Amino acid sequence: MLFNSLHFLIFLPIIVGLYYLLPQKFRWMLIFIASCYFYMVFVPKYILILFLIIVIDYVAAITIERLNGRLRLFYLIASLCANIGLLAFFKYFNFFNENLVSVFSLFGKEFHPVDLSIILPIGLSFHTFQSMSYTIEVYRGKQKAEKHLGYFANYVLFFPQMVAGPIERYDTLGNGLKTEHKPVYENFANGFRLILFGLFIKMAVADNIAPYVNQVYADPLKYNSLRVLLATFLFSFQIYADFFGYSTIALGSARLLGITIMDNFKTPYLAKSVSEFWSRWHISLSTWFRDYLYIPLGGNRVKLPRWSFNILIVFMISGLWHGASWTFVVWGALHGLMLLLEKYFSKLFKFEIKNEWNFVNVLLVIKTFVITSFIWIFFRAESFSKAKDVIKAIVKNNHSTGEAMSPFFPLLFTGVLLMFDFLLYNCRFDKKLEAFKTPYRWAFYTVILFCLMALSGTQKFTFIYFQF
Amino acid sequence: MLSLVFVGLNFIYEYTLYPKDLYDKCSEIFELKVSQDTTDIYYFAESSNFNVRENDSIQNTISEIVNFFYPSLRITAINKPATHAGIYKHWIKQINPKVNKPKAIVVTLNMRSFDAMWVNSVLETQLQESLVLTQPRPALVNRFFLSLQVFDNKNDQQREKTMLTDWDTTKLIFPFDFRYKTVREWDYSTNFEHFYKNPDGTKDEAKTILACHYIKAYALNMNERNPRVRDFDEIADWCNKNKVNLYLNLMAENLEYADSLVGKELVFLMKQNRDYLVKRYQKNNCIVVDNLELVSGIEFTDQTWTTEHYSYKGRMSIAKNVAKSLSKQFSNEYKNAY
Repeated sequence: MLFNSLHFLIFLPIIVGLYYLLPQKFRWMLIFIASCYFYMVFVPKYILILFLIIVIDYVAAITIERLNGRLRLFYLIASLCANIGLLAFFKYFNFFNENLVSVFSLFGKEFHPVDLSIILPIGLSFHTFQSMSYTIEVYRGKQKAEKHLGYFANYVLFFPQMVAGPIERYDTLGNGLKTEHKPVYENFANGFRLILFGLFIKMAVADNIAPYVNQVYADPLKYNSLRVLLATFLFSFQIYADFFGYSTIALGSARLLGITIMDNFKTPYLAKSVSEFWSRWHISLSTWFRDYLYIPLGGNRVKLPRWSFNILIVFMISGLWHGASWTFVVWGALHGLMLLLEKYFSKLFKFEIKNEWNFVNVLLVIKTFVITSFIWIFFRAESFSKAKDVIKAIVKNNHSTGEAMSPFFPLLFTGVLLMFDFLLYNCRFDKKLEAFKTPYRWAFYTVILFCLMALSGTQKFTFIYFQF
Repeated sequence: MLSLVFVGLNFIYEYTLYPKDLYDKCSEIFELKVSQDTTDIYYFAESSNFNVRENDSIQNTISEIVNFFYPSLRITAINKPATHAGIYKHWIKQINPKVNKPKAIVVTLNMRSFDAMWVNSVLETQLQESLVLTQPRPALVNRFFLSLQVFDNKNDQQREKTMLTDWDTTKLIFPFDFRYKTVREWDYSTNFEHFYKNPDGTKDEAKTILACHYIKAYALNMNERNPRVRDFDEIADWCNKNKVNLYLNLMAENLEYADSLVGKELVFLMKQNRDYLVKRYQKNNCIVVDNLELVSGIEFTDQTWTTEHYSYKGRMSIAKNVAKSLSKQFSNEYKNAY
């Protein structure tokens, strides 16, 4: 079920109403049924994969907790292999085959892979990562194994964040699901605020930018440098608005049920460096990689060459996590590379970024935005040849032969998004709005509601991160 | 308080952004609304009206030719490719009889628009989307529903599934013995058992595919359960209620090719369906302009597919037939233009 659908706008109030009507001991059942229904609206049969993940990790965690010694490690590895195996099969099978074909052709041989026509189950990368974090935490002894299968299932399935995160940890979401929540005005008010804002960001901002970007990226060589450059910058805002909007609706929906989930974005385009960008963009994924890959690889306690290698590996795997294509790996690698360059530069010149806002920092913000926007080209382009075309068009293309859509609305909404980013720097929308006086608050709701209803994009765009 | 705010927002939207949105999403309805004061006859059509043969010396549309016979009448053509009775129904309901009632409405229908392939066409999603802004709801709600994609928004696979099920399960009824009971059986046999052959004995793919296409396009028994029949019923009811003369302009089909490619059974079904429409709607105060057999095979623009696109000669024959039917109502305005 999409958040930006009438289906969801009817579904959510029904579930919230029933949730508070039911006694606590039955609420997990409601969340479970609602989450299964939410997921099964996409492709019903893929719920079985989720059930498999739930059973594997539920059993693995209990077994790990009971055992001592090396057997614990064995069960952890078995559980991780099962999760990664499922992900590899559904997400990377075709990618692996395509690469095998290329390798064989390099040696002048033919390879005919089995065509299984696999379709990636929606949000599989999110479920597996969330579930794996739980077993790892149990193995590390930081988390008690959940004995109640229903609660654990809800941790993996919780509908507000099941298909595109945030990737939650069991100690926050799992415990939040077990706690009895009373209908509190503050939760309702903040929940509605966040949903309204999230819908606005997705439907009015992202969906108004998307047609322009899609048009230019469909055939970049048809457009002049300025248009392709504009489309590239606009894509940075589109993907941000798309994912930020989703995450905000997820946050608001969970809040209506009294459950707090983490903020996934903190005005990332106001970051002054690439490393700061990653502490503000898709925070739940960044912290996952930090805790379960970067630190186990040695973190920053190793020598510079090894540390550099670790950074590159983490970012490349993060790229591959996003999509089964080398363009994503390059996207990740470029981020890693930029981060390393920044570190070397600051070490070499003993340059430190200060916290206060000054002219230098404004320049640094612009620099970081330009870099990330350029790197997004590899994320957005379906292939290297398309990415090459985009870069070629940006560098030297004076002629525009393609049908040119007006950039007025995309730019207008980009301006609105930027304005919100400045206002919400290091603060969240609901908290900021809470401080407003009632008439101002309601005036603001009215404007947002009008823009949402009257100016949202009219083409069908699902959330970009659903494909991961 | 909330209701008041909503009414205010709706008012602002309706008088500022709505006209542009309507023009962008459904220029036909926009055109209809702005032309109401200056229209005597509406001519609603799909692509048959404006599609012309490239080398035609005269490139006028059918409605323009009809207008030559009635120079004093203001005929407004509202056309869009792939439209059908379900879309015309909605357009016609946008006419406000209190503003200026048209004297007549000509609704162009073709036989194929009643079949499962057209009913479940992938183009239907776009057509349905174009109607959202004029649903009987507040304009602002319609605009929001457009963003939320609240309309018949099935994907291509879902539509194809319904179409295949229809071909598989709907029984074809003949008053004589015929070996195929469904479209699927007929199509399968034509494609794999009794296909056309080249002189060297291999399968003539092009001819076989065309024959199969004729079967899928025309093999059906029209009845009151057909969604397009139900849609046209509503059009007839609206016209009766508002005392507007309705003309069902049934377009010419390539019967010659249907006969030579598939056989007399298919032609029988086409004629039987025509008779059904004539009988059903003549009873309902509607004038049926029967063009089914009016255009010879060679006058069809597309010789390798089923369309209702005609050469100038074909368009002229149809226009004359429509003009003749209108002459009963507009005898004083009629001029023998050709």
